[in-house]
Amino acid sequence: MRDLFQGLSWSSARQYFRSRYYDRGDARARGDDGVRGEGARRESALQSRERVLATLDHREPDAVPIDFGGTSVTGIHVSCVAALRNHYGLEPSPVKVHEPYQMLGLVENDLKGAMGIDVEGIPGRETLFGFRNDDWKTWRMPDGLEVLVSIDFNTTSDSNGDTLIHPRGDLSAPPSGRMPAGGYFFDTLIRQDEIDEDRLDPNDNLEEFSPISDRDLAELAEDIEAAQESGRAVITALGGMAFGDIALVPAPNLVHPKGIRDIAEWYMSLAARPDYIHAVFSRQCEIALGNLVRIRARIGDSLDVVMLCGTDFGTQTGSFCSVDTFRDLWLPYYKRINGWIHEHTAWKTFKHSCGSVERFVPSFIECGFDILNPVQCSAANMDPEQLKAKYGDDIVFWGGGVDTQKTLPFGTPEEVRRQVLERLEIFSRGGGFVFNTIHNIQARTPVENIVAMLDAVREFNGES
Amino acid sequence: MTPMKELYEAILTGNRDAAAELTRQALEGSVDPQSLIDGAMIPAMAEVGRRFEEEEYFVPELLLSARAMKTALELISPLLSETGAPSKGCVVMGTVQGDLHDIGKNLVSAMLEGAGFDVVDLGADVSPEKFVATVEENGASLVGLSVLLTVTMPSMTSTIEALEAAGLRDRVKILVGGAPLSAEHADAIGADAYADNATAAVRAAHELVGA
Repeated sequence: MRDLFQGLSWSSARQYFRSRYYDRGDARARGDDGVRGEGARRESALQSRERVLATLDHREPDAVPIDFGGTSVTGIHVSCVAALRNHYGLEPSPVKVHEPYQMLGLVENDLKGAMGIDVEGIPGRETLFGFRNDDWKTWRMPDGLEVLVSIDFNTTSDSNGDTLIHPRGDLSAPPSGRMPAGGYFFDTLIRQDEIDEDRLDPNDNLEEFSPISDRDLAELAEDIEAAQESGRAVITALGGMAFGDIALVPAPNLVHPKGIRDIAEWYMSLAARPDYIHAVFSRQCEIALGNLVRIRARIGDSLDVVMLCGTDFGTQTGSFCSVDTFRDLWLPYYKRINGWIHEHTAWKTFKHSCGSVERFVPSFIECGFDILNPVQCSAANMDPEQLKAKYGDDIVFWGGGVDTQKTLPFGTPEEVRRQVLERLEIFSRGGGFVFNTIHNIQARTPVENIVAMLDAVREFNGES
Repeated sequence: MTPMKELYEAILTGNRDAAAELTRQALEGSVDPQSLIDGAMIPAMAEVGRRFEEEEYFVPELLLSARAMKTALELISPLLSETGAPSKGCVVMGTVQGDLHDIGKNLVSAMLEGAGFDVVDLGADVSPEKFVATVEENGASLVGLSVLLTVTMPSMTSTIEALEAAGLRDRVKILVGGAPLSAEHADAIGADAYADNATAAVRAAHELVGA
């Protein structure tokens, strides 16, 4: 089936197959699955952007839209991007690592076409480690794969053979990330000064948040304009709006982070130092609102989706904190940010939180979030049917398409296909669903399983 | 409130400074150090575990109580080694090779310590050889293996194989945990038990060593 599509854009392919789809008399195609009652209807043939906007508006599009690579939580490990390029017969040049923390590979336009992707992400110009992705150099992964990394991706090795990465590419600064020997990703290294309770200053946890510079604003506008030309829905993260994201608390981009930077210390502070947390979040929120005013004035409604925050509230079996803690510490700030965005823009807002978060979903909706990701159905109390039935009218599920802890990395292609079709059947009813895996596609995931996943989406969409 | 009850409350509410001060006062008052463990610390951490399992406590509260307990235990431990106080056994804990994630493992270590086990926590990214050597050195009866990443799950299997190859497998029980695991997977790789949270891990540890 792949060969048939050579030279045919996916939107054209979709239109070609759409007639076949409707002709099947399929219940889904007739739009009579009834979940959204009389309001449910299927849109006619759409381009990628319209397809995404329809689903975000809880209208059922002509086909379920797909995201891969749109954000740093819906991406693909560089090794899998390389394998996909090889599978689809695309130019086998080394893949760019646009996000070096999780070693996510850039999904270039040709691969987006081959995968049928409907979303255009804007990779940040500055990485989590504080250096920019302006120029590229080759780098060899521990397993030997040659990739492209930023010219400022500067590493050293320790006696264990671990790779240490340095903030802002500054080799004179202590490293802020570690990739174990033979590993595939970095994790942050904790750099925590001794805490003197009497001298704790919330400003120390605010060093990484500042008014957007003229250069960053100009580049953002330029990147969004270029992304719009793709015809896909445009999504980007606007920095500084993640409150207490545990991946960012250690500030791997800073040369010498001050304040509370240790992960356990931060979690304890939620209960032991709520005033400190409020002071950090409150000031961070003011800075973010100031930036939003300037960004909105510059880009208008040219952005479709903004990823606001990746703070995880769920674990595999429970929650990091209580709903009460969430409502005390986070809800006021999320409400202000979402409120401003919805009052002044047409952007949809995207909230990422791993784990078992069913109990938080009503609060996420109350905060004004439009989209939930990654919909970790493999965690406790995250049954797809129940999530869709309870919250499907009020929040868009962006993810949940297939489990990345068991099925996608370790299942057979047929097991992948079955789960993907099942999830599509549940989540796509009445719109409100963007297909993506549960979080990034992890290293060592067999390419045949990724292809089986994509083929299953096409099968469901009536494209194969 | 009795000093014992005050220490119990200090640990339960995660008040590190109060836990340290109360422990110092008790030890200066010639209270038997073991009685502080049996009368305050173990019951407090058992209640913390109950609250965590019942979702009255979450990660922040569990970490605060564990820190208060450890602070008190550090003051008591030197005195215990003098008296040769009983332990429920030695547990070697670690996150397997290639995996740097340790929040869950740290919680389990603290809860096991709070339940009266001797815990040797090797940290994260621990090689199979290091697990083997530490089990041998400490005569451990239990090994706790943690993993978060799917790509490092094979390290758990190779650690169990290394314990077998070293002839230690019939001497130690193996308890595993971590987000991508399940009871079925634990069984398939030859572990003795699987726990999906810190309280369940303490319960499993007691069952495994018959304590």
